[in-house]
Amino acid sequence: MSRIKLFSIFLLLIAVVFVLAEARAVEQADKSTCLECHASEMMKLEFRNIPGDWKTSWHYENRVLCHDCHGGDPKDAAAAMSPQRGFVGAPKYKDVPEFCGKCHVGILKSYLESGHGKALKSNGTGPNCVTCHGSHKIQKANIDIINEGLCGKCHSYERASIMKKALFLTEKKITETEKDIKKLKAGGVFTEEEEKNLFSAHAEFRTLFHSVDVSLVKERTDEFAKKLSLLGNKIQNMLNELGFRKNFSAFLMLIFLGIGVGIFLLSKTYKS
Amino acid sequence: MLDRIKNWFEIRIGLKDLIRAQLTEYRVPKDINIFYTLGFVAMAAFMMQAATGFFLLVYYVPHSEQAFKSVQAIMTTVPYGWLFRMLHAVGSNLMVAVVFLHLASVFFMGSYKKPREMTWLAGCLMLLLVLTFCLSGYLLPWSQLSYWATTIVTTIPTAFPYFGDYAAYIMRGGEHVSGVTLNRFFAIHVALLPFLFISILGFHLFLVRRIGISSPPFGEKNEREWTEYRHEAHSDGIPFYPHFVFREMFMVMIFFAIMFFIISFMPTLFLPEDANTPADPFRTPARIKPEWYFLAPYQMLRLIPNKLLGVVMQIIIVALFILWPFFDTKKERNILKRRLLLGVFFISIAMWVILAVWGRYS
Amino acid sequence: MKRRGFLKLLLAVFGTTAIAFLTYPLARFLAPPAEKAKGKQISIKRSEILAGEAKSIALNNTPVIIINRQDKGFIALSKVCTHLGCIVEYDKGKKRLLCPCHAGTFDLEGNVISGPPPRPLPKMPLKVEGENIVIG
Repeated sequence: MSRIKLFSIFLLLIAVVFVLAEARAVEQADKSTCLECHASEMMKLEFRNIPGDWKTSWHYENRVLCHDCHGGDPKDAAAAMSPQRGFVGAPKYKDVPEFCGKCHVGILKSYLESGHGKALKSNGTGPNCVTCHGSHKIQKANIDIINEGLCGKCHSYERASIMKKALFLTEKKITETEKDIKKLKAGGVFTEEEEKNLFSAHAEFRTLFHSVDVSLVKERTDEFAKKLSLLGNKIQNMLNELGFRKNFSAFLMLIFLGIGVGIFLLSKTYKS
Repeated sequence: MLDRIKNWFEIRIGLKDLIRAQLTEYRVPKDINIFYTLGFVAMAAFMMQAATGFFLLVYYVPHSEQAFKSVQAIMTTVPYGWLFRMLHAVGSNLMVAVVFLHLASVFFMGSYKKPREMTWLAGCLMLLLVLTFCLSGYLLPWSQLSYWATTIVTTIPTAFPYFGDYAAYIMRGGEHVSGVTLNRFFAIHVALLPFLFISILGFHLFLVRRIGISSPPFGEKNEREWTEYRHEAHSDGIPFYPHFVFREMFMVMIFFAIMFFIISFMPTLFLPEDANTPADPFRTPARIKPEWYFLAPYQMLRLIPNKLLGVVMQIIIVALFILWPFFDTKKERNILKRRLLLGVFFISIAMWVILAVWGRYS
Repeated sequence: MKRRGFLKLLLAVFGTTAIAFLTYPLARFLAPPAEKAKGKQISIKRSEILAGEAKSIALNNTPVIIINRQDKGFIALSKVCTHLGCIVEYDKGKKRLLCPCHAGTFDLEGNVISGPPPRPLPKMPLKVEGENIVIG
């Protein structure tokens, strides 16, 4: 048999191997005994939704897992809810701020000094973190958490809307700056420093909000506006530089195309 | 003035005779097609890579703690650093594409056959060197993409029993990819490979000139038997200079036009976000994929259930490819008259494309 | 022939432009960088920071903290948390630096003790010259 035929059979065999083999998709599943029980049929209904809720949350996006807040050992079913492994269960209403404040230290401090925090600690009424942010379905915080439905539950919406107005311009500037940073990233720029700068300003601003003190917010808005405008200018300069690079390269592209066309035409004049 | 310079050289090295023999009286087949320019374009691409690579070397620091920062400095602080970096990064991908096309067209036109087997061998060796250039160069920016793609590739030798782990250990300079790996890949990329590549390129070019350029196999051809050495002179062909030189230059300009098109309008085509994030040995990005030219072998390895079998098969395929002129010894060079080979050619390309796309999207 | 001459001229023009547009960047690229103003150095008196205390300054727009550690002397660390960029705070009692955003904790060498930060806090160059501490 000719060598070509032999080779074709070999190729055919390779194809058969592929067809028979299954693609092994490797799932990067975090082994979590918490999820295994809480998502199963055995779990009572009100808890069964929790894994699903958590998977839609901002915490999930940032790889904050069950045991990061609730303690316990996620790899060992027997110790999953063991107090020796740090399991604290679900916090009571009054203890929620300290529960979330394990990580969100700055916000806890601001909250405890606020009217909201003082109300909660003195007579157990008043909003805790979960009231506005939810528990497992937590989304990325944004200004629309302040709305009539939520704030109006306890008092008139008027003061909340004044606060929202005070926050509004700064939040808008932050959102715009975020968009510009995304544009820079899309253009291939390494933006870690700018992103950190923005996050720091944003986080500080949000912490400020939790004091629910409108005059404090208004007082410090200028300071934030200055910081953000400096950052915004820096980003704008970088965007302009990207524009320059694009034009420069596009010009060179046209030059090379022109040379190519010229060579082509010139070659035609040499047709012997 | 120009004449006086020419005369100075003429007296010493016989310039006129040189020009006559190498340029104006050097003839190429009259039915030569545009694909024959691809070898020259690949060489031009290599020279550009070498030049831009050298320029980058002036500012790049090959140490794991400074590599990423130095590349960022080149992109943002050094005047026009972005231009040379982009030329080098985009250029490497374009060069691989050109080399692939050159290879496919040589295969298609049967120019690997007797007496040109050595030219094909040298060419395949150069392909492997180019891919090694790509692999080693990829690690140098020390980004997430660099680090993890290198981790995957240096794990492949572990498929072999007995010496596999040791081979991977030597490649990486340790158990994991680290600064040690960076240093060895840097040395390989900057000192060893250019030397090897240029040596083989010189040999390849010597062979092309010594044996003579092949003619396209299509149309009425009467190929004589090769029983003794002869140089294919194409006495009824067209002068290399200026006609073919024009075509080569034209294709080089197209190459650069495409290069600058990508740099202007798609600068992140070969630099996704993970390429712009510093390497983090503790965090594997969600979807690391090798560069497009490695996707097909990568997907093939993922499909074959046994790791060793997969690697061995790849080695066999590569060996088959390199030694192809010794497998296909039929005299007939016109592939259109050899339906089976034509089918094999297209099916192989189709399989490569399918595997690559599959590897990219799964 | 006239066309050939014109085309040769055109190519010469384009070619020169291309070469110019590649040589000028190359020249700028290879020219030694302008002496970067080394960033201002900041000098403060040793006596301003008592043992166990710390002082925050701004060094070239970066918030920096200088700590007078009881056992190991002075150190200057960047206050920018390596997680997402919030500004860390000095906890004198617990001898650590705490980030208010997600409780990232650093020791007084800048190393991560707990929390999400992926890397230690960068150290700033610090020299003690007689009565003064010079940072930067």
